[in-house]
Amino acid sequence: MSSGCPPQSPAVAKTEVAVDGACPLLAATFAYWDNILGPRVRHIWAPRGPPALAVQLGDGDITFLANHTLNGEILRSAESGAVDVKFFVLSEKGVVIVSLIFDGELKGDRNTCALSVILPQAELGFYLPLHAICVDRLKHSIRKGRIWMQKGYNIVSVLTSEIIPIMELLSSMKTHSVPEDIDIKDTVLHDDDIGDSCHEDFLHKAISSHLQTCGCSMVVGSNPDKVNKIVRTLCLFLTPTERRCSRLCKSDGSFSYDTGLFVQGLLKDSTGSFVLPFRQVLYSPYPTTHIDVDVNTVKQMPPCHEHVYTQRRYMRAELGALWKAAGEDDVLPDTVIHTDETFTPDLNIFQDVMHKDTLVMGFLDEVFLLKPGLSLRSTYLAQFLLLLHRKALTLLKYIEDETQKGKKPFRSLRSLKTDLDLTSEGDLNIIMALAEKLKSGLHSFVFGKPFYTSVQERDVLMGF
Amino acid sequence: MIGSPDLVAFTKENDFGDANVDHSLLPEEFNVPPFPYSENENPWSKTSYAKFTKDFILISEFSEQVGPQPLLTIPDGPKVCGTFDLNYFSLRIMSVDYQASFVGHPPGCSYPKLNFVEDSKVVLGDSKEGAFAYVHHLTLYDLEARGFVRPFCVAYISADERKIMQQFLELSAEFSKASECLKTGNRKAFANEIEKKLKDLEYTRAILHKETELQKQSNGCFSTQAIEKANELANVEKSIYEHKDLLRQITSYPNRKMKDPDFLPYDSENTVESTDLGQDPMNDSKPQGQSDSPDIKRSPSYTPQLIKAKSAKCFDKRLKTLEELCDLYFYHQTMDQLKQIEKTFRGDLCYIYTNQIGQALLKKQKVTNFLFEDYSSWEEEETDKDTYNEKDNLLNNLPPPASIQAGEPVSLESFASCVETLHIKMDPGDEVKVFQEEDSTEACACDVAQGLSDECMDAMMKGSLSSGESIEVLGTEKSFKAQGPQLNETVTHLSPHYPVTVRKRIVTKRANSEDSIEVLSTTDSIIPEDLRASYPCAIYEEDYSDTGEDCTNNMHEPIFSINSDTVAHNECVYDAATLVQVDATCCMGQEGLSYRVPAPELAQECSANGVVKQEPQSCRQGDLALQVDFTLDDASISDGPVSSITPYELNPNCLSDETSRMTLDDCSDSTSFMSTSTCSDRTNPPFLYGSPITVKQKKKAGQCALRFIRQYPFAQQAIHCLLSGRPLIVLGSDERTVKKLVSALSIYVPNLGKYGESVKAWLSSPFQLTDLQIWKLIGIHKVTSPAGFSILHSLKRYGRYISILDADQKTLRCPPYRGTLVERLADHRTQIKHGSTYFLHAQSSLTQLCAKAFLYTFCHHLHLSVNPSEDQEVVAARRTQFLRHFSCDPEDGKVLQFLSELIKCHYLRGPGKGVNPPIFGFNYVTSVVYKI
Repeated sequence: MSSGCPPQSPAVAKTEVAVDGACPLLAATFAYWDNILGPRVRHIWAPRGPPALAVQLGDGDITFLANHTLNGEILRSAESGAVDVKFFVLSEKGVVIVSLIFDGELKGDRNTCALSVILPQAELGFYLPLHAICVDRLKHSIRKGRIWMQKGYNIVSVLTSEIIPIMELLSSMKTHSVPEDIDIKDTVLHDDDIGDSCHEDFLHKAISSHLQTCGCSMVVGSNPDKVNKIVRTLCLFLTPTERRCSRLCKSDGSFSYDTGLFVQGLLKDSTGSFVLPFRQVLYSPYPTTHIDVDVNTVKQMPPCHEHVYTQRRYMRAELGALWKAAGEDDVLPDTVIHTDETFTPDLNIFQDVMHKDTLVMGFLDEVFLLKPGLSLRSTYLAQFLLLLHRKALTLLKYIEDETQKGKKPFRSLRSLKTDLDLTSEGDLNIIMALAEKLKSGLHSFVFGKPFYTSVQERDVLMGF
Repeated sequence: MIGSPDLVAFTKENDFGDANVDHSLLPEEFNVPPFPYSENENPWSKTSYAKFTKDFILISEFSEQVGPQPLLTIPDGPKVCGTFDLNYFSLRIMSVDYQASFVGHPPGCSYPKLNFVEDSKVVLGDSKEGAFAYVHHLTLYDLEARGFVRPFCVAYISADERKIMQQFLELSAEFSKASECLKTGNRKAFANEIEKKLKDLEYTRAILHKETELQKQSNGCFSTQAIEKANELANVEKSIYEHKDLLRQITSYPNRKMKDPDFLPYDSENTVESTDLGQDPMNDSKPQGQSDSPDIKRSPSYTPQLIKAKSAKCFDKRLKTLEELCDLYFYHQTMDQLKQIEKTFRGDLCYIYTNQIGQALLKKQKVTNFLFEDYSSWEEEETDKDTYNEKDNLLNNLPPPASIQAGEPVSLESFASCVETLHIKMDPGDEVKVFQEEDSTEACACDVAQGLSDECMDAMMKGSLSSGESIEVLGTEKSFKAQGPQLNETVTHLSPHYPVTVRKRIVTKRANSEDSIEVLSTTDSIIPEDLRASYPCAIYEEDYSDTGEDCTNNMHEPIFSINSDTVAHNECVYDAATLVQVDATCCMGQEGLSYRVPAPELAQECSANGVVKQEPQSCRQGDLALQVDFTLDDASISDGPVSSITPYELNPNCLSDETSRMTLDDCSDSTSFMSTSTCSDRTNPPFLYGSPITVKQKKKAGQCALRFIRQYPFAQQAIHCLLSGRPLIVLGSDERTVKKLVSALSIYVPNLGKYGESVKAWLSSPFQLTDLQIWKLIGIHKVTSPAGFSILHSLKRYGRYISILDADQKTLRCPPYRGTLVERLADHRTQIKHGSTYFLHAQSSLTQLCAKAFLYTFCHHLHLSVNPSEDQEVVAARRTQFLRHFSCDPEDGKVLQFLSELIKCHYLRGPGKGVNPPIFGFNYVTSVVYKI
């Protein structure tokens, strides 16, 4: 670090976080723009333990970098409540900084604040695929923190509740993330015949549902090898970037569920049970498929537009409950929702896979006809994935043409199904899910209005 | 008197009209919206908040005089950024404290020190303006600037935040290259500037020295003027020292950065600015060591100037423009790079991202990419062919391609074809003989080049210039590896071998047999050996009758004479008692057994004519992996008397009707040579005449295709012809209409080729049978002239092999099609509105088709016995069942079989060897005429 760093703020509180394994994160900081003193760092979170990384930052350096992120924000003209993301790659310093800029009330004044995460530049490739996950989670934490600030409480406790899990997530991804290139030999698709590793219909259901839920699945089981084989198999159907947002299960102790990962393997406890984290699953950007490899069951969450609707309602309920909270100690994210009487979450969010498809079924029927051990199955898989992606783009373009880029409502779903050969409901779900990842909000645009109307009508009727 | 307006100021906002607001409810500014999209929002509207419509690149500077200011945008023009406030945004992006390193006089150092700061990259946005940017900060050097530095930034501005983050690595890489180029040019210009300044200083020193001497002489050493002059001189001396040090620093930079792959070295001693933009200064650069020398090389054109003691005030001077700060060559290079970046990242993220995913996936399926994909996805393979087996075999565990195994050409006849057609065989046996020493690429091209070679040969004999021109052009083999160029190249190699003196026209006569099979025979005057040399490819009709041992043996003879190495292998293949060489991956050898069975009549004809009808046996002798694989898994499959099984028995789909073989020479009837066309007429690729076909062109063709599907109810039949390999002739009197139809149909042509070699958009001369081997879609000029008559004659003559779409009459003459496969691809009731959308749909459908063809080709069960007791009939039945499962209609199966043939051919020949199989297939199915 350069010697020209400004002196550290007199009393910057620091939380040292004990993380299992090497944490790629250097530090996280909360800074704000003091109207008299300029940028000030309020709190630093740093992983404890032996420094595993070449870049080591002192507190002074961290303060300098955190201040750096607030430079220029005096001009900020964003709407109240907006959280803007800034991303720095400072080669001179050899660091990457992710800053979330927001406004909040401190000591009766409205200040511009920044929550920053600092990583070594060498971790840029590792971090980039996970950027959206981290930002989404931190954004929601900031929403809660702003309420806390408004009420005059310390935001740090709220931020700590999310920063520590993110450090743990990054640490776990460092050791257990799915590689970008998966050897098909490590997957079910290398079996001599369909049904060798797992039941034929189970495999079909698992892959089909996995694709219908935008490639977002949790694989639960007691045997780590079995779980990881299915995790790798499902990851074959993801893009390389998405694979890097997927995690294998840990054989000697289970990870906890992490919101936002595409595929994650989770081990049951010694009693053979697994506690489903309702809130975290609901906060995932996409609906999730639940696959239990012990009992060969596949369950899925409702499609994107319903998932987003439920998610928003839950978020609003959670934030509303926080607003009403009486004191600083009254913040327990998983329990706070129960204090809100206006929203009763439907805990039965996982349902059976209802819609059959022909795409995955055909693929599985055919891929096992090819001889294993050669690259034939990989090639055939690549062709299948290319087909899916091209169909998704075609569907997107079709809707874009029909609606004049969203200016008109979409009313020709039947024609779309016929024209694009998606008459099977499962096929449509798979392609729609892929298209959703390309164009976020597509489900809500196509299916949302009738759904929201019916839900509102139901709520009104229930109100009487 | 206090009125109500006065009281308003004492009330709180919330008290007014909000009497019923429940304060326990969370204010919306702390909440999330209940619905992801409100009434007026949609997935496309997220980017519509911005005041600009398209992404653009902005170059801004933090001017020491006026602060942050925008300099230029790419693309240029007022419409680019609309009402978007560039000044404000420049202020925002330049206000980031990017430059943490010290520049200027470091503590403890009396001389200025240049600090070569690394670029920094920032992604930021203005959510209110709806503008997000990737900002690349860089520092340029300017001798007249404060601290010698001028901070700049180059920003990619988009309304889509996700696009910037998702493409961050790509953007960063591209902008780093552009920045490095700009900085290289700046260092060169800076060094140039220092040198000029040094000249000025030395000139000034010389003047001052003279003046000091004069002062000393006139007023003495200690006079005020003399002391002033001496001080001034000392300052100049110091300045010279400083500037020399600066020059040393700037010229020593390349040594520091040599390890950086993006670094562009330049010749610091080449002080003359490379104003000639066509000249690359890199080319004249001297060895690196010389550039480190701080010695100054004077530019003779520069006239030194006297430097006044006091320079102009800070705000009086004019700062250099970006163009002036950089060497012109590098400046323009940078601008070109930035323009390219803007083009690369233009458009919706979903298209860019899908394209990136698609490219990555296409790399894994090179074996089928040639069928319908953009050339870029398979051309790369050709360039890497030397290292193909080394790398790919290890990585992909693929058996090596045939072309690199035994060093001999591949015999496709040894592989089964289930195409329900009569096969006209283009036998490359002779070509191998003649061109054994030649590059295999060229040799393989012979079989598709025959028609052309005939004509060009003819032209050469007549003193035509066209072939000579072709030779010259095609000398650059690197850029012309596709079929078309190969043709001409082949001609150049072929020509010396033609025995000019014995050259005769081979007039073919048609003998119509009772069963309406066309039997073509050569005249007696033709010497078979001459035929071989002149017409290396042969077309013969095949009779699927029983027996044929003799023919088989006869057919082998030429092979043995060609390459003794192949003997054992051929024996291996044709001797039913020995082990068959097969490709364990694509299981082709086994099929070959069924396919090779010749007819006795044919055999007699073959031997009578003395025409080589059998290619040398291919089959991948060197492929140990295959042999081992086969031996282990399917060793016993060759035990049965395979040669006794007829194709019909093996594949019930095969027609048992009359087939025969004919030499290709036989097909070259006299009318063919009445053509007035030139070689160039036949070799011009259809699209852009020499330019590779791009996806953009195909998308445009999609519009024509959509129109065609809607206008012509028999579009499915036409498309089926193309997909099943039956040549389609588009006939019309209006060139524009015909070309449009050809363009529309071209997207369905398998193996279109890099330059669209499989398509002839416009032909005004009669075609020959050999042309049908090359061109699968031909636009023909319908005229009422002698030339037109010969065209019609050729159409009539080859009518049974082709389908004819008459653009004037709006009719289609082709075999009937009742399948379902093409229905999905070309439904005239489709609601698809735009051609580009239809192209995407067609592309998806063709991808699906490719996958099925791949499966059919490489599925062991469909071609090999599962256990030793299983005979070929069972395998054939399995194959039939597969095709039936794929589609109820046998017509659809033909498409699959044809594509499978092409895949086999491509795989076995190896990349870059041409794909057209030596078998020209056509159906003896009655054609019907479709009308609107």
